[in-house]
Amino acid sequence: MKFDYKKIERMTPAMRIIHWANAICMIAAIITGLYIAHPYYQSFIAEGAVDKYVMAWNRWVHFISAIIFDVTSIVVVYLYFFSRFEKPYRKLIPNAKNVKEFGEVVLNLLTLNRRKRFDSTHSDSFNTTYFTIFHLLLFFMLFTGLQLYVHGLESGESSIGAWWPAFLHITTDWTIPVTGGTLMDVRIAHHITMWLIIVWIVFHIYYQIWRTIFWEEGDIAIVFGGSKFVKDKE
Amino acid sequence: MAEGRDESIKKLFDAKSAKVNTNRGEEYFADLYVKCQKRLGELKAMPATGGGVDLRKVLEEDGFERRDFLKWASATTAMLMLPASFTPLVAEAAEVMNRIPVVWIELSDCAGNSEALLRSDGPKIDEIVLDIISLEFHETLQAAAGHQAEKQLEEALELFRGKYILFVEGAIPLGIDGNFGTLGAKAETFKDHLLRLADGAAAVVAVGSCATYGGIPAAAPNPTDAVGVMDIVKGKPVINIPACPANPANIVGVVLHYALTGSVPELDSLLRPKFAFGYRIHDNCERRAHFDAGEYVEEWGDEGAKNNFCLYKMGCKGPMTFNNCSIIRYNESVNWPIGVGRGCIGCSEPDFWDKYAYERPMANAHIKAPTGGVERTVDQFGLGLLTAAGIGIGIHAAASVMAGKKNSDEKDA
Repeated sequence: MKFDYKKIERMTPAMRIIHWANAICMIAAIITGLYIAHPYYQSFIAEGAVDKYVMAWNRWVHFISAIIFDVTSIVVVYLYFFSRFEKPYRKLIPNAKNVKEFGEVVLNLLTLNRRKRFDSTHSDSFNTTYFTIFHLLLFFMLFTGLQLYVHGLESGESSIGAWWPAFLHITTDWTIPVTGGTLMDVRIAHHITMWLIIVWIVFHIYYQIWRTIFWEEGDIAIVFGGSKFVKDKE
Repeated sequence: MAEGRDESIKKLFDAKSAKVNTNRGEEYFADLYVKCQKRLGELKAMPATGGGVDLRKVLEEDGFERRDFLKWASATTAMLMLPASFTPLVAEAAEVMNRIPVVWIELSDCAGNSEALLRSDGPKIDEIVLDIISLEFHETLQAAAGHQAEKQLEEALELFRGKYILFVEGAIPLGIDGNFGTLGAKAETFKDHLLRLADGAAAVVAVGSCATYGGIPAAAPNPTDAVGVMDIVKGKPVINIPACPANPANIVGVVLHYALTGSVPELDSLLRPKFAFGYRIHDNCERRAHFDAGEYVEEWGDEGAKNNFCLYKMGCKGPMTFNNCSIIRYNESVNWPIGVGRGCIGCSEPDFWDKYAYERPMANAHIKAPTGGVERTVDQFGLGLLTAAGIGIGIHAAASVMAGKKNSDEKDA
């Protein structure tokens, strides 16, 4: 049997930039976050304290990657609803069509590609739901992380003005009662959520590679070149 | 009902607004100065109630010069976040503090806060000032016992009704109808006792972490259902001075503030005075430079410990604890936990015994699974999740490879 392949645009350049910005920030945040939680390497004891700034640099990288995340998160929320390319929120509405597609994609995964009864040209509702879970985890990380950050701004002042700590208190103080009532609970929740995100990443990478191999539609190319190829039976 | 809900929603959104406003402008302080002067004049006109002890005389007898006292007064003024011009007023307030009747009760506690006041190597000015307050009732300190003590309490409650400050040390057990702790011949439960005494008080001050949040009696599994004062006493100003033990300087600070202004100091959402609990230990820690440099004590007595390195890896909870002990220290600035080379255990935060005091970094903290039974460290849970995901993926990948082979076999055939 011979197929013709049809090229399908799946990710715009902006979406791909956001994806890789997120991926790099994620790795940076995990490496530095693990250090902040429990410094796992030592600095040279013979060197003077003024010459090394190990924890401070780790925290700096952690905060910078967090702030990039903040910005991409806002952009992603916007794109979920107003993207001219595709509007992911439509795939999240639990209507009959989406629920059926979700089930079919799960069955495809569980039957090891023996059964494939859905349209794989567009982003399916299973993957969209999976990405949404990631964004929700990420939002939780942002709110708990900024709550931990504002503890260092007790004076109510910051280099960009008094509005910033006040804003952080208004937007993140709810994380204290929600996680268990103490500042330590916020910290533990922040750390545990990191592990959930790591698990999320592991499955995400596996699943995209698995699709590429078994669907034979070049899915892995989406995130690099922006497009995949589907068999066009003629 | 609606108000209660509004309150709880409000609480959800400003659970811990730690903003400390130290500069309220000249006009505010000028007003406050006049108000304080008036208040002190009123107090001076009142007779001293606690046997009329003269602070100047007591200080002299203990070997403190007037200059020492004024140095203490200016330090206390700074601690209360008042301008330096208030120093004479603070000194005056300390001298007339014996006009304010205080009733001090102990519930589920170890008397550690009282002990902290009494057992220092020599009386510090903070402690002397507390000694001369008009202590109308204090189970541990008074000579009276039994029916005599009860009679003394009743008289004090009657005489100073609506005027006394009630200091509470210790948690309140609520289990088996509060019968885990009873007082006196009538076996009055701690809860009833507290409510009865709080009823006639001008304000209630919870001293120490047990009185504030339940503290160690309330630590898991909290067999007596212990709670703090603020969970029981409603409709009265409650001031919390947590820490284990509460710093005498902060206790004096609160009484002084009351003597000076006739009102309670500004409180945070956990009802702790902001002048004492507005700042994080970590941000004023003398070892903070070692934290930023990545220089940590790896084990007790190592080279790092000898060089005063940061105690973060030994489980110091300074980064999550709001208290002023890194600034004012204990026993008139003699020393404090980090200074003696051991980490902070977060004793001024809620649930500190369960959530802060495990002397390990947070990543190694033991937490319970949602099911309750299993207890592992945070990182062990995370690695467990990752392992489960890895095994699942491994099985799926292996199965896919076999199924894939089958498919291509079919194709070939």
